[in-house]
Amino acid sequence: MKKKVLTIALMFLAVAALADELAIGAKAPAFSLANAVDGKTYAFKPGDGKISVVFFTCNQCPYAKAFEPRLIEIAKQYASKGVTFYAIDSNDEARYAEESLANMKDRALTKGYPYPYLKDNDSSIAHAYGARVTPHVYVIDQKGTLRYRGYVDDSARPEERKTTGLTDALDAVIANKTVANTETRAFGCTIKWKS
Amino acid sequence: MRAYAPFAAFCLSVAAAAGAANLVELNEPAKIADSFSAKAAVRVLNVWATWCVPCVEEMNDLGTISNTFGTQVSLVGVSLDDMIPGDRAVTKRKVISFLDQKKITYTNIYYRGNNDALGDTLRFNGEIPITIVYDRTGREVWRQQGKLDREKAIGQIRKMLGGKR
Repeated sequence: MKKKVLTIALMFLAVAALADELAIGAKAPAFSLANAVDGKTYAFKPGDGKISVVFFTCNQCPYAKAFEPRLIEIAKQYASKGVTFYAIDSNDEARYAEESLANMKDRALTKGYPYPYLKDNDSSIAHAYGARVTPHVYVIDQKGTLRYRGYVDDSARPEERKTTGLTDALDAVIANKTVANTETRAFGCTIKWKS
Repeated sequence: MRAYAPFAAFCLSVAAAAGAANLVELNEPAKIADSFSAKAAVRVLNVWATWCVPCVEEMNDLGTISNTFGTQVSLVGVSLDDMIPGDRAVTKRKVISFLDQKKITYTNIYYRGNNDALGDTLRFNGEIPITIVYDRTGREVWRQQGKLDREKAIGQIRKMLGGKR
C-alpha cells in the first residue's frame, strides 16, 4: 500500500515538474518575429492549415549545437511533407553577445539553416510556450493545437538514440494518428532570459 | 624499502599534478545513491555540466558547502558532459581538468547513461543545474532547480543537522 501511495506521489511530482509548460491540446501561441538572416518578419498563425515545428535554440549552447545537424536533416526531410519549421533564439543578447542578430545570421548562413532563425527579443515567446531549455521542440498540427513537446531525440549521440521524439510525433500528426509519446523531457542549456 | 621512497615520492607528485578530482563513470542512475558516504547525515546531489553557465557559476558555492560541513554532508556531482557527442576520453579529461581547476574533491559521476532514465530516477525535467538534498535515509528534503542559492542551501543543511555548525 505504502509503495502504491509513493508511486502515485512520485507521478504527481513528475507531472507537476512539467506543469508550467504549454499543455498538450492547447492552442499554440502566435508570434511575429524578425528573421536574423534577411531581417524580414515571419508570422506564425496557428491553425493556418499547416503542420509546424517551433523550436527554441541558440548560438552558444553545446547541446543545441549538437542537435543542429539533426534538426536541419529533419527539416529538409519533412519540408516535402508540408511541415514548416521555425527556429527561435530567446536568449538575452545584452548579456550574451553570441546571441546577437549578426551572430545569429552568421550561424544560420554558415550552417545552411533551411528554416528562419527568429529573434525573440524579450523572451516572451519562450515564456508563452513554457520553453525552458535549448533545444526545446513543439509540434503544432493544422488546427493550431499543440501535439508534442520535449526533445528532438533522447540522445544527441546517434548510436545511443532510443527514442526519436520529434519525428515520431510528426509522423503521427501527418498520418492523422494519435501521438503516442506527447511529452518528453527536454534536456539542454537553460534559456538566458531577457530580464 | 628505503629504495622505493624516491619512486613513491615521484608517484605522489604525479598524482598531485594530476589533481585530486574524483570522477567515477556510471550509466545506471539507480546506482548514483551508492556514491554518498553512508556516515553523512545529509546528502547533496548536484547535476551539472561544464557547458552549463549557471552550473559553472555555482560550483564554487558547492565547494564551500563541501568544505564547511566536512563529513556530516556528503556531496556528489553528476556531470552530464557526456551528452555532447565526441570522444569520451577527451570529454572526461576536460571534466577532470575543470574539477581540478575549481579544487572540487567530492565525488563526481561521469554519467553516460540515458537521459530519460536519469530524469525518471531524479524526477527532474532535464533543466540543469539542479541540486537535491536528502537525509541519511535517502528521503528527499529539499531541491533547487536552477542556480543554487548558497545561503538557502546552507540554511537547509544546518536545519537538518539540528542547528549544528
